[in-house]
Amino acid sequence: MKIPPAAGLAARVLVGAVLVYAGATKAAGPSEEFAIIIGSYDILPREMVMTAAAFLPWVELVLGWALIFGLRLKETAAASGALFGAFLVALGMVKLKGIQLPNCGCFGDAIHFTPLQALAFDSVLLGLCWLAWKSAPAALSLDSWTEGGYTDPAHGQR
Amino acid sequence: MDRLPKLIVSAALVLAASAGSFLYARGARKPFSSEAPGYRTLGPADARITIVEFSDFECPACRVAEPPMRSILKLYEGKVRLVFKHFPLERMHRHARAGAIAAECAGRQGKFWEFHHELYDHQEEWTGDEEAKLLSAYAKRVKLDEKAWQACRVDPSANEAVNADTKDGLNAWVGSTPTFFINGKRFAGALQLSERGTLWIDKELKK
Repeated sequence: MKIPPAAGLAARVLVGAVLVYAGATKAAGPSEEFAIIIGSYDILPREMVMTAAAFLPWVELVLGWALIFGLRLKETAAASGALFGAFLVALGMVKLKGIQLPNCGCFGDAIHFTPLQALAFDSVLLGLCWLAWKSAPAALSLDSWTEGGYTDPAHGQR
Repeated sequence: MDRLPKLIVSAALVLAASAGSFLYARGARKPFSSEAPGYRTLGPADARITIVEFSDFECPACRVAEPPMRSILKLYEGKVRLVFKHFPLERMHRHARAGAIAAECAGRQGKFWEFHHELYDHQEEWTGDEEAKLLSAYAKRVKLDEKAWQACRVDPSANEAVNADTKDGLNAWVGSTPTFFINGKRFAGALQLSERGTLWIDKELKK
């Protein structure tokens, strides 16, 4: 299945922008606040919660910009997809355990999603990650610059 | 340019954009005061440890944080100074500001901590329909001059004191209550206070 380049570009910029916004709002705020939300998922061991709260926003930020700029697009799209997959598993476990989350913690204190809204949102983003993954290699990307030009996968020509 | 230098430049661009968006989101650091009037502090003024607590009288998590905080004050008596700052979360708690103003006015009669304990110990009672009646009952119980206390509650200066603390909290990026700063280090919620607060105090005292 061939993805139109414009659709691939739109998908990766959209997912990238969401990741950058989510990462920046959480990285800028105190990690102790985010740690409370991660802790309320009751998935990670308690001693790992603070580390995850400090680390995860930066993973989102770097993946987001790498997607927007199209750096190692295949790997970045796969890693972003894995991240959204992990979020979906975490939200599913919260639902199964009957934990009442006041807020998914996706965007820190900036936007509040209920767990169900977050499930729907993350599913859409996971789909967009797949589109971005399928669209690699892409013309408007750092990959194209570092590899010395764009190779159309359908024709094998630069 | 060869592939490797291009890859390095690309990675640097991504990292620079990440750092830039972080700095943009963080914005300029705003100053905040960790001081409060004397009636809202406990412990010696020259204590080596200062705990600044941003709290909301209607917040259940703040009530949960009361026992560990009282234990810390007892354990480190003479070495710790507690500063209470109002941070009513009015989006969620419609009685929080009334509670803060009532406590502030009790403080102006030197009975802040007695009133503070009444509000937390009976949180489920006064945060219902009988707020005004129960707050007055607590004022009587802690032996306040009720006329002066009632006059203070409608005095704009009490409300302004709560607003000033709230502004300090917002400038300090307080997003939830209770939030504690122990010698400047942040602990959000009762769990972080109980699990790591005493370890941090011990570390600070060893300095």
